[in-house]
Amino acid sequence: MIARCRKQLIVLSILLSPLLFPALSWSIVSVGDDIELEGFVRSMNILKTGARPFNDGELTHQRNTAQLEGKYYFLRDSTAFNSFSTGPIEEATFTFLARAAHDSIFDLRDSYAGLNGRGKEEYKVREAFVDFIMPPFSLRLGRQQVVWGETDNFRALDVINPLDRTWHGTRESWEDIRIPLWMARGIWDVGKIGPFEETFLEVIVIPDDFQTNKVFADYPRPWAFRGIGLQEEAANSVLLGDTLADLYDSSVTVIDGTEKETDIRNVQSGFRFKGVWNDVEFSVNYFYGFAQSPGVKIHSAELVGSTFETVIETITPRTNVFGFTANYSEEKYTQSVFRLETTVTKGLPVAIKFGSRDDTNGNGFDTASQSVVMIGIDRPTWIPALNSLRTFFISTQFFWRRWLDYSSFYRGSFYDVQPAVVGGSVVPGRFISVNNDKIDQDEFVFTFSASSNYGRAGLWRPLFVFAYDPRSSGAYNKIQMEYLYSKHLVFKLEQHLYWRESGSDQSPWGLGSYLGEPGIRRNETQFTATFQF
Amino acid sequence: MKNLTVHSSEHPAPFHRLLTSAFVLTAAALLWMPAQVIAEDQSYQALRDWIDNPPAENYATPGKHYTLSDRKAVLEALIPQTAWKYYFFEGMDMEVTETGHYPAPDDWGKKMTPTADYKLDDKGVLVGFTGGGTPYPEISEDDPMAGQKAVWNMLWRPGSNDYNMPMMVWLRSEDGTLDREMEFISVNSQFAHGDHSLVSGYEEVKSKQLFEFRSPRDMAGAKNLTIKYVDHYKENSGWLYMPAQRKPRKVLSSERTGELMGMDMIREDSMGFGGKVYENKFTYLGKRKLLATVNVSDNPEIGGPSNWVPDKARWEVRENHVVLIEPRADNHPYSYRIVFIDVETNWTSWMFAFDKRDDQLFRLNQHFTKYSETFDTEPPSQAPYVKQDFSKSVGHQVFLHLGQTDINAKKPHATITHCFVNKKAFSAARAKQFYSLRNMVSGRR
Repeated sequence: MIARCRKQLIVLSILLSPLLFPALSWSIVSVGDDIELEGFVRSMNILKTGARPFNDGELTHQRNTAQLEGKYYFLRDSTAFNSFSTGPIEEATFTFLARAAHDSIFDLRDSYAGLNGRGKEEYKVREAFVDFIMPPFSLRLGRQQVVWGETDNFRALDVINPLDRTWHGTRESWEDIRIPLWMARGIWDVGKIGPFEETFLEVIVIPDDFQTNKVFADYPRPWAFRGIGLQEEAANSVLLGDTLADLYDSSVTVIDGTEKETDIRNVQSGFRFKGVWNDVEFSVNYFYGFAQSPGVKIHSAELVGSTFETVIETITPRTNVFGFTANYSEEKYTQSVFRLETTVTKGLPVAIKFGSRDDTNGNGFDTASQSVVMIGIDRPTWIPALNSLRTFFISTQFFWRRWLDYSSFYRGSFYDVQPAVVGGSVVPGRFISVNNDKIDQDEFVFTFSASSNYGRAGLWRPLFVFAYDPRSSGAYNKIQMEYLYSKHLVFKLEQHLYWRESGSDQSPWGLGSYLGEPGIRRNETQFTATFQF
Repeated sequence: MKNLTVHSSEHPAPFHRLLTSAFVLTAAALLWMPAQVIAEDQSYQALRDWIDNPPAENYATPGKHYTLSDRKAVLEALIPQTAWKYYFFEGMDMEVTETGHYPAPDDWGKKMTPTADYKLDDKGVLVGFTGGGTPYPEISEDDPMAGQKAVWNMLWRPGSNDYNMPMMVWLRSEDGTLDREMEFISVNSQFAHGDHSLVSGYEEVKSKQLFEFRSPRDMAGAKNLTIKYVDHYKENSGWLYMPAQRKPRKVLSSERTGELMGMDMIREDSMGFGGKVYENKFTYLGKRKLLATVNVSDNPEIGGPSNWVPDKARWEVRENHVVLIEPRADNHPYSYRIVFIDVETNWTSWMFAFDKRDDQLFRLNQHFTKYSETFDTEPPSQAPYVKQDFSKSVGHQVFLHLGQTDINAKKPHATITHCFVNKKAFSAARAKQFYSLRNMVSGRR
C-alpha cells in the first residue's frame, strides 16, 4: 500500500513539477530554448440525478486528473541539437502527453468495492510522437490520434482511433477518450495541381497496434452498459423452448477471436487526398482496418444435462471504409459553412437473430455494409436580444445511417432483462435476458449546438447542446456554463438531460431512448474545476 | 429681481441664505459644466468638430515632455477629442519628438503593377493591382475617390506583411483589473509583389497569415490560417484548428462585426479598417495633424487610471488623411467610422467607431509603430517567451507594428496588445508548405 502511494506521489510530482516554479508557470513553461511544457490539474465531480433532480442524486464520479504535455524542438533550421546539419529535414520535434487520473469516488462509496478498483486509476503516456518536416513531406511517428472527417462526435470517418467509453461514455471531449495508437502518418503537400488547390496526400499505417473500443459492463460502475428492462435484477436463467435452465449452473466458453493487440498481421492503413476545388474543400478517404466493436459468433448453445453450455467467439472482422467529405463557405446569402461527410463501410459485425431465416451460418453473426451521410451547417449568428457584442456559434448536423444489406433479423446491443415466463406463467425469482432490439434499416439523428460568451472580457461561456433521434424520439440536452476565473482557474458547470417523447424503441445513439428510461435515467450535474498552466 | 427681493424679505434669513447658496452653486456649475461636457463629449459630431478646427500654428515643441498641465494649451488640439477621456490623466508623460521622415524601401514602386493596369471601379474597389508599391502616391483632396484611395494605400502599405510577430494581450476593465492575458504568434507573408508572386502559381493570393495561440492553456495550440486575395471581391479563406478537435474547420470570413475571443475589437477594426470597401461609403475629410506613437523607442509602457493607454511613450506630430467610413448594412453596429492614416507611411494612427444607436463612441484603436532602421540602434523589447534577432529587420525600411490599444467605450473595457515583431523572409518552397491546409491538419497537440 505504501509502495503504491509512493508510486502515485512520484507520478503526480512529475506531472505537477512545472507548478513548483510559479514564476514560470503562468503560461507554457519554457525550459531552455527548446523545451516547452503545459498542462492542467482537474477535478471533475458528477452527481447522477436520475428522474428527480436533487432528490435522488448520487455522487458517481470524483475524477481527479493531472495532465502534462511537452514539446522538444530538437531540430530547427536543418540543424539538429544545435550541432549538426540534417540536410533536407528542416524541423523536427518530439511531443508527449501524459495523464494521471484517480477517481476518489472509489474511496468514498462502499458500493464500488466490488469493482476491485477497475477504473479507479490511470497512469499513461497517452501520446508520444516525433514530427519531421522535410518539405514537401512531413512525417509523424509514434503514438497519436488521427481525426478525419467533418462530423463532430459521431463515428463515420473518425474511426481510426477507438474510444474509451468506460469512465463517462462519449460525453467527454473525444480528444480525451480516443485511444491513441502507434502509427506512422506521412503527408505529401502537393499544393496546386490542375484545377485543385491546397492539395495533399496523407497516408497512415498502423503496423500492429489494434485495440477495440472499451466499454464497461461492471455494475455499479455508472457508465457500465447494462441493457434495458429490469435494472435491479440480473438474468439468472435461460429459456430453451419451455425449459428454464439456471444460468448459475452454466458453462460459457469464450473464444477470443479478436485480433491480438500486437501482431504485424494486424496492419491497418489508409489514405486521404484533400484539396480545394472552386472554393469547395473536399477529401477522398479510404481506411482498411478492423471493426472496433466486436461481434459474437455463437458456436453452440445447448442444455447438457442440467447445465446450459455455450461456446461463443468474439470477433473483429476486417472493415473497409470509403469516405468523401466536402465543405463550402457560402459568404453572401446564408453566411454559413456547409459540411458534408459520407461513408460506406463494409464488413461491420452485426448480431442476427439466432436460428432465424437469415441466420444462414447458424451462429447469430453476420457482417454488413453501412452507409452514412452527414450534412452540417455552421453559422456565426447575431441574436442581439441575447448578446449585443458577440455572435452565437451555431452548429447543426443531420445524420442518416443506412444498413445497405439489411435483414429484419438484425439485432442491436440492447438486451432486456425480463421475468421468466414458462407456459404463460411468470416463474418467481427467475429472470432471462432477451434481445428484442430490432435494428432499423435507416437511422437518423439531428444535433444542434449554440455557444457564445458574455462578460466584458468574454469570460462566461455558455453552451447549449440538443440531440434528437426522430425514430425513437430519444433526446439529449446539455446546458453548460464555463467561467474563466483567471488565467489559471477555469470552472465549468454542466447539466446533462436525457429524455424521450414517447414509445419504447431503442436508439443506436445512446440518447434518451436508453439513458432516459426509468431506472436507467442518468441525468447528470457535473462540476469541473481546472488549474491550467 | 424686485419680486425676488420682496419674496425673500417675506422669508426667514436661513431660507434666504439657502437660496443664495443655491444661486452661487448653480452659477458655478454653469460656468464649469461646458468645459466638462466638451471634455466628456465622445459623440461623432464632437470628433467632426475637432477635425474641422485645427489649431492655427500652436503645435507641440519637439523634444519636450508634455503633462496634464499642457492639455489645454497644446494637447487638446493634437489628440482627437473622443480620446481625451482616456489619454489625459494625472501623471501622464508624452514625449514629443521631431517629426521624422521615413523613406520606403528602395525598390518600393519599381516592381509594381503599371498604373494603366489598375483602377478603382464604381464601388471604389481597387481592381488589377498586385502590389509592389503604393497604388496612389498622390491623393488630391478634391478627388471624389480620395477616401478610398487613402484606404487602399493603407491596405497595400509597405511593411504590412512578412513578419514573425509574437504578441501579448491584456484585457482590462475600467478599474484596471486584468481580466485575461493571452499570448499568440502571428506569422505573415506577402505573396503579391507586383511583378511576381512569392510562390509562383499563387498569383491570386495577396497574403497569407498563420496565427497560433500559446496561452492560456484553454486556447493553446488553436491556430488560424487566413488567405487574402488580390481580388478584393473574393472573400478571404480561413481555417481554424482546435486541439480539442484535432482537425481544421472551415470558418466563415464574411462575419466581421462580432468581438473576437472576448477582446475589444472586431475583425473589421483591424488596422482601423479591415473590411470590404464595397460594403461601405467613403468620404474624404481632408488632412489633419495630430499626435501619433510613430517610431516609438520600445513597446510603450501602459498607463492611465485604467492602464489602457500608452504612457511615457514617444509621439510625433504627424499629418494624417482623415477618412469617414459609413457601413452600408442596416444591421452594422457602427454608424460612422473615422480613420486617421499617416500621409507619409500609410499606417493607421487612430480609428474611432460610433454606435449606430446613439452616435457615441463605441470603439477606438490607436497604434504603436517602429521604423525598421532603428531596430539595431534602439531595439524594442523581446517577447517574454521567445528571443529574436532584431538585426534581421534592419535594412527593410518599413514600419513594424509594435502594438495597439483597443477601447470599447460602451462596456467599458480595453484590450492592450504588445507585438514583438521581427521581419521574416520565407523561401517560396517554405511559404508554400507553411501556409497550407496540410499544415492545419495537426497542431501543437
